[in-house]
Amino acid sequence: MQHLPSTLAFLVAFIAPWAAPAETVVEANVLRLEAGDIVAAAKIPEGVYLRSVNDPDDIIWERLPEYRVRMVPAPAVHRSVELRVNYDTPDQDLYVTFAHTSERFYVRLRWRDDTADRQTGRDRFRDGAAVQFSLGDDTTSYLMGTGPDQPVNIWYWSADGHQIQNLAAGGYGSLTRLPIQTVSGDGLYTDNPGDPNEWTVVMSRPLAVRDEYEVALNRAVVPIAFALWQGSEAQRDGLKSVSEGWVLVEPGAIP
Amino acid sequence: MAVKRQLCMVMDLNKCIGCHTCTSACKLQWTNRNGREYMYWNNVETMPGTGYPRNYAQMGGGFDAEGALKLGITPSAEDYGIPWDYNYEEALMTGTDPWLRPNVKPTWGANWDEDQGEGDYPNSYYFYLPRICNHCTNPACLAACSRNAIYKRQEDGIVLIDQERCRGYRYCVTACPYKKVYFNEEISKSEKCIFCYPRIEKGLANACARQCAGRIRWVGYRDDEEGPIHTLVDRWKVALPLHAEWGTEPNVFYVPPLAPPKYDENSVPTNEERIPQGYLESLFGDGVAVALKTLAAERQKKADGGDSELMDTLIGYRHADMFKLS
Repeated sequence: MQHLPSTLAFLVAFIAPWAAPAETVVEANVLRLEAGDIVAAAKIPEGVYLRSVNDPDDIIWERLPEYRVRMVPAPAVHRSVELRVNYDTPDQDLYVTFAHTSERFYVRLRWRDDTADRQTGRDRFRDGAAVQFSLGDDTTSYLMGTGPDQPVNIWYWSADGHQIQNLAAGGYGSLTRLPIQTVSGDGLYTDNPGDPNEWTVVMSRPLAVRDEYEVALNRAVVPIAFALWQGSEAQRDGLKSVSEGWVLVEPGAIP
Repeated sequence: MAVKRQLCMVMDLNKCIGCHTCTSACKLQWTNRNGREYMYWNNVETMPGTGYPRNYAQMGGGFDAEGALKLGITPSAEDYGIPWDYNYEEALMTGTDPWLRPNVKPTWGANWDEDQGEGDYPNSYYFYLPRICNHCTNPACLAACSRNAIYKRQEDGIVLIDQERCRGYRYCVTACPYKKVYFNEEISKSEKCIFCYPRIEKGLANACARQCAGRIRWVGYRDDEEGPIHTLVDRWKVALPLHAEWGTEPNVFYVPPLAPPKYDENSVPTNEERIPQGYLESLFGDGVAVALKTLAAERQKKADGGDSELMDTLIGYRHADMFKLS
């Protein structure tokens, strides 16, 4: 019997890596999506609900497939960005999950960020993340759309806790807030002892479309792209990292 | 940027007494609320001095010799000065606090270095420099905005920020070499002097100009050959832009200050300038020498009982002649 405490200690030490919060950004075995890859949004079964509408930490997320997308510095298209952009910023992986219920479409994002930048000040910038949807096919530019005829719908989350912004754009400099704000979301910053800190953000919207510039989710495939802003690097506007092209997502929400 | 007409302002630094009535008028009209408390769309700084925000003239922005936008430094909250207020209610009314004290420890503010000046007695000197947005012909703020949220009105050249378009990127704050665009933290958008356009549209001069106790400000269209701007800037060439070398083509002009000469050790006036001409030229450019010479000559003419259109204009007998808004 005298061995029991040490056996328990051994068991605890052995089990600990699995017992600890399993999800951190260091997950090399997650499938990386390249531009043009097709993935299906996971169906959250009927009768299963998140603890809150956009709970980033709900246990359901561990049951749904997660992918990763390479994020690189966006090309500068304005002098103000060109003066500040740092193309030597290391590439980064963004982990994404696409999901839907019979009522809502969800995108969950997770990425490494050593600092939680929640404040906007005169010389302080906040972290941010955005999901961009082509209203057409993947011939629309993944960099803010291709003019007014090939627009994009953008969901923008910022770390200051404000409402998710439902936006549209048709080319550089044209980003516009839509009259109807239908997207909600929530963000969670996790300080992981021994592991990189990370943001987890969930954004979602009812499936029904209420504005001509909102992405229709009853299509077979929706091109989706991503952007991240690092507040501690004074990133805003085109100073951001972006996915390199569209990922094609089957929203699975066809009635 | 070509506009149909350009409204301009001239300020005569010989007449500015540093009373800050312009600043108070502007603040009461526009910036004493809603996240603008720290902003001075109009401020008066003592020269030579650090200016407002602190050391703004060393913060860059504007354009290089090839006309390309330059990078600048974004001022911090401390560079502007953190506004403070006093516990009047507690100290003076209810008596619950024995001390009248500021709610923020004051460490810096607009014109913190007031009356510091330069030089040694009896040859010390200073002068006041009131500043508003220059409503530039080539605005760096406009060039810096990646969203075309800043525009210059065709009818009068007033530079405005479209609050619907602004997303608070703050490129404009950094790009303006005069640091006359301010970020409103409450609404996450940038704001600036609007040249009192709602007053202008009603035929009223800007609050800063109308309230000016020293009557140092003239407002009018540059192309109005009968108006005060053309008279002072183009005909008499006594009003000069501040830091034209920054490339933004300002539409606010200054009549540089004349000063008595230096005294020698026996208190006898010398021929040496008290305010070094080189210093004035570092602010107002090469036209300083001619302007000062013209001012001195016309002033003497008037003192001798003669007529001087320039002096009559600068005296500013009637507001109606100082503000030509049509």
